[in-house]
Amino acid sequence: MTEDSIKQITLKVQRYNPEQDSTPHFQEFLVPVSRGTTVLEGLLYIKENLDSTLTFRTSCRMAICGSCGMLINNYPHLACHTQIEEFHSDTLTIKPLPNLPILKDLVTDLIPFFNTHKSIKPYTIRHETEEMENPTAEFTQTPQELETFLQFTYCVKCGICISACPTSASDKLFLGPQALAQCYRYCADNRDEGWQERFLLVDTDHGVWHCHLAGACSEACPKGLDPALAIQLLKRRLTSQAIGLRKKQQSSPVASPITETKAKVPFPEFTAKES
Amino acid sequence: MRNTYLRLMQLVTGILIAVLLAIHIVIMHLNAILGFFGVDVTEPTSWESMIGRASQAIWVGLYIALLAVVLYHALNGLRGIILELTPSARTKRIATWVIIAFGIIAFIGGSYVPLALLIS
Repeated sequence: MTEDSIKQITLKVQRYNPEQDSTPHFQEFLVPVSRGTTVLEGLLYIKENLDSTLTFRTSCRMAICGSCGMLINNYPHLACHTQIEEFHSDTLTIKPLPNLPILKDLVTDLIPFFNTHKSIKPYTIRHETEEMENPTAEFTQTPQELETFLQFTYCVKCGICISACPTSASDKLFLGPQALAQCYRYCADNRDEGWQERFLLVDTDHGVWHCHLAGACSEACPKGLDPALAIQLLKRRLTSQAIGLRKKQQSSPVASPITETKAKVPFPEFTAKES
Repeated sequence: MRNTYLRLMQLVTGILIAVLLAIHIVIMHLNAILGFFGVDVTEPTSWESMIGRASQAIWVGLYIALLAVVLYHALNGLRGIILELTPSARTKRIATWVIIAFGIIAFIGGSYVPLALLIS
């Protein structure tokens, strides 16, 4: 990296310390940027060199943990997954995710978000209590059955869909795209038998029918999921159920016990270390 | 499944509004086009023409049906907006009952005139 390829840009970061400030305010920092520098690296530079009190969440730095969701130039992104040069601007405005309470600086309170996620029972529910308590084998599933909901399993629970959703902005009790998409994810899973319980949870005044299909969640999702599609598919399931046209989903059986095991293939010679 | 039924009705009434309103618009305002197809509708907005339609049960039924579906569609949509902007159990209760009462009064008031004309 040559010196010429490094330029200075201004990061305008929203600061808020509830113990000192009555309202949030902005603070500007000059940050050196080169090709490939992410917004998160910019923030880490500030924390390490300019102001150690700047507070933000980060962990994996590769868009897996979903910690560093923030509003960058008024659009929600994962800071680790967003390069500064994408914006073609000398100034970036960085704010915490909207529609979530701010704890400090860029850190939002995700507890209500996780509680909403938990409320739709995001786990496999089966009626066979004995098998759930003392499992003997896995429930079978074909690749085609997995494909019906696979993309929704990639949710990293970053909260970006909630912050992009206009309904979540206006209705604080709205379940939100993340929880509704996860509700569909489990209802569509043929290993699950809990759809009746979950339908009651989402068929409320602030549930699935309050989605306006703005599609902002799908556009903003950093993992490329389509929560708006999941919500529409969930609406279809609810409607089919209400008018009696829903096809009965066969629950997957428990895999039959393995009777024969093949002999293990020995390691090839070249993998063995010489003593 | 209460909300699902309410929203399903919203979709059904939306389709019915499109059909019934299309009939209304074509008869009342596009009589020149109907004339092109050989259907003679002269002066559809005149008093005599309106009284003539009000004496036929099919037209009275059509307009009462249009009134019912428009009221449901509009008021259920309004209730949804109110609940979204002011989410609380109290608001929900008040908004629901006020809207039901308004809907019933508007339906009775709106259907009284064509029914009275039909009976007389």
